[in-house]
Amino acid sequence: MAPPTGPRGSSSRGGRSNPRGSRGGGIAKRRGTPRTDRDGDVSMDATAANNPPSGPARGSTRGTRGSRGGRGARASTRLAQNVRNFVSEQDGVSRGEKPQSNRATLKIYGLKDSKAANNSDGGLRSLLDFLERKSSKERPITLGRGTISGDVVWLKVNRADTPHLLRLNGYTYAGAPLTIEETSEPIPGRGNQPTDGADSKPSETKDKLLVVLASRYNPEQKLLDLSALGADQTLFSLGAFESKALAEKSFKALMRLTTTHYGSDAEKEAGIQAVTVANNDIHDVGEIFTLAHTFPRLRRLDLSGNKLEDLSKISKWRHEFRRLEELHLVGNPVTNLPTYPTQMVDWFPSLQILDGRRVRTPEEAAVALKSWFPTPLPHLPSNLRDGGNNVAATFLRSFFSAYDQDRLALARQFYDDDSIFSLSAGSESTSSPYHNFSRNLETIGIRSNSAQQRLFTGINLIADLWGRLPATRHANLDLTDEWQIDCHTFPNLADPSGQGSAMGLAITAHSRFEELDPSQQLVGTRKFTRSFILGPSKPGAPHPYRVVSDQLTLRARVTEPTPSASAVIQAPAVVPVPTAPAHVAPAVAGPVLAQAPLLDDTIRAQMVAELARQTGMTAEYARLCLAGAANWDFDLALRSFHEKRGELPPEAFVPGA
Amino acid sequence: MSANFNETNIRCSSEAAKNFIDWYYRQLNDAKPVSHGYINGHAAYTNAGHAPADICINGLVVATPQEWDKLLDQQREAPKQPDPNKRRVRYDVESFDVHVINADYRFGASAKMLELNAPTDGVRMMMVLTVAGSVLFGTGRSKAEDYWEKQSFHDRFILVPNWDVLEKPGARYGRKYLISSHNYRAN
Repeated sequence: MAPPTGPRGSSSRGGRSNPRGSRGGGIAKRRGTPRTDRDGDVSMDATAANNPPSGPARGSTRGTRGSRGGRGARASTRLAQNVRNFVSEQDGVSRGEKPQSNRATLKIYGLKDSKAANNSDGGLRSLLDFLERKSSKERPITLGRGTISGDVVWLKVNRADTPHLLRLNGYTYAGAPLTIEETSEPIPGRGNQPTDGADSKPSETKDKLLVVLASRYNPEQKLLDLSALGADQTLFSLGAFESKALAEKSFKALMRLTTTHYGSDAEKEAGIQAVTVANNDIHDVGEIFTLAHTFPRLRRLDLSGNKLEDLSKISKWRHEFRRLEELHLVGNPVTNLPTYPTQMVDWFPSLQILDGRRVRTPEEAAVALKSWFPTPLPHLPSNLRDGGNNVAATFLRSFFSAYDQDRLALARQFYDDDSIFSLSAGSESTSSPYHNFSRNLETIGIRSNSAQQRLFTGINLIADLWGRLPATRHANLDLTDEWQIDCHTFPNLADPSGQGSAMGLAITAHSRFEELDPSQQLVGTRKFTRSFILGPSKPGAPHPYRVVSDQLTLRARVTEPTPSASAVIQAPAVVPVPTAPAHVAPAVAGPVLAQAPLLDDTIRAQMVAELARQTGMTAEYARLCLAGAANWDFDLALRSFHEKRGELPPEAFVPGA
Repeated sequence: MSANFNETNIRCSSEAAKNFIDWYYRQLNDAKPVSHGYINGHAAYTNAGHAPADICINGLVVATPQEWDKLLDQQREAPKQPDPNKRRVRYDVESFDVHVINADYRFGASAKMLELNAPTDGVRMMMVLTVAGSVLFGTGRSKAEDYWEKQSFHDRFILVPNWDVLEKPGARYGRKYLISSHNYRAN
């Protein structure tokens, strides 16, 4: 069994010339090493004093602790804890509240009189180890960092562990009796220990670090300048760079603060595209490895003026920074190696500029990156194969404008008693207006009653449901960037006459709509897909075709910060508004997008004929009606006809109609 | 009233949809082919003269299911990536819904099938199935894995009976329904 000192002596940490002295070593200071051996002694003393019969057990205890590098491991957890404290989001208030619920404070007297008091840390570490060992009879108890203040050791522990620790009251530790008591007094200011150079309050430290970060951020270049951190006055005053280990931790803390500062990865990516860590005395990128995970999509990185000697000192990053386009390593010894440029190009697939020289074109970089990750398939615009007579385009135009304006009329126009509608929402919250109607079989299950109940059939049920759904406004179909519509005809639908089979038209429309949340009156946008199956109508229906099936798939809602949502959909204002006859004023009030569809003359003629047929007007008047305020919206024209019927002159009607 | 929303048909179509989705997306996530799930090459359909399945991927019409398999392979390609947990393309289904659009589907059916199965028996169904979810690029097998890029996808299938399988009583293997039309969009 290796003695506890074994693994440590071989490490670089063994190089301390004066292990017992106060921290004269300064930068080379490591707390772990000296404690181990001294602690080993102390443990043995203590065990011998308190527990003479358990010889083998004692040995194994020691062995375990020694061989697992007990203090070393603990020390690093503790350091990690310190870093967490460093950047802890808890401010003074929450720190004050939380401990009261599940943390208790203990005061321990007697350490000063023990033999361990001569240890470099005043014996604190070995005392805590002793307490841990002795209290962990029933279950393992882990103690946090204690604080020495005068004769007293202050310690925060889990409330559940308190009885086990209080039981040790009166035990002898390294030749001195211990007195342990619970207290409600606050721990006197931490940072009294000489080792704790940094300011004690995490929130203060955090604020200072944030100031450092802010002062080093260049918003124009989206650059975070972390060069020459060792020379930073604030960081210096915090003692953040007193030792190499502390410097690494401080860097981690800075990285973590950067992450918490941004709400999402996307924001961070947009906010910081370049980082410089020049002139930081870096010997291996491992020292600042976290940079890679904090900015996985970094575009530009400056490492110049560091001490990277060879490629192995950079190789820890060879699977990181997949989007890195520009890298500077000037002033590092590694740049003298002949293989250096090729290796960099190989390791960083997006790299285009290395030390100011172009090493790849953007196209070559795109190809190189492709070989690293699966690539989404390319996108093509809408694919309309609707049999040549524009059925899909005509249908969709009427459909979405009517869905925004008059859903009942829409249901009567295109649906019949055999039409089916259902909607499915992904991971909607239960408060969503769609939640109770969502026929998402993935969430409700295929055998639930809802699978039957949430299938809406027939004009009445469908229109009734639509009436309960939030008001919507769809994008104008002329904004082709907003829509992806695919459709094609297919055979073997049932013919409504009951004889033979008929052709159907399958349409899938992807876009988004503005939506008014009925409960909160908040405008949001939502991506959706609407999948229709159109088939021939039954005899006597208003249209030659009808909706056989209509499935609405809803994506997550994005709430708009401002109520004026009209800007959202109309944003691509560069799209030319089609010129329609002079009748721009919409006839209906309310937030309706002015629809000015691009209709060809054939469709207009069809609409005129249809309106004339339904109203009995002459073709000329039907055209006037459609081209007027209705702006070629068939439903609107029909409605205004019914409103103004009495005012129309007799010559507006076909004689005898 | 149409048999399209007969109770048995609703139940059977939901089950058929679930089976289909379980198969289809498992194939995709395991990088296995899906071409045999389309009507192309199935005797009952080719012999009766059915047109090949209509496949439209991100607006591109794909002639054969084998080409779609190739596109999927192309999408998965990442030869330089050493970490298998960063190589995968994974489809996570978040919602699906199915409608029967022809409960009395007859195309390619044998006289026996027509005789045995009434339109209300939940067998001779033509269905439209919509599936939505996320597709993750450069990710591992489990849901917790990190990913390189994420898109949302939407699939719309028209499914028709696979007579070859349905005709065998108690058939346990083979797809009971085949894809006659497939529309895919991811962005």
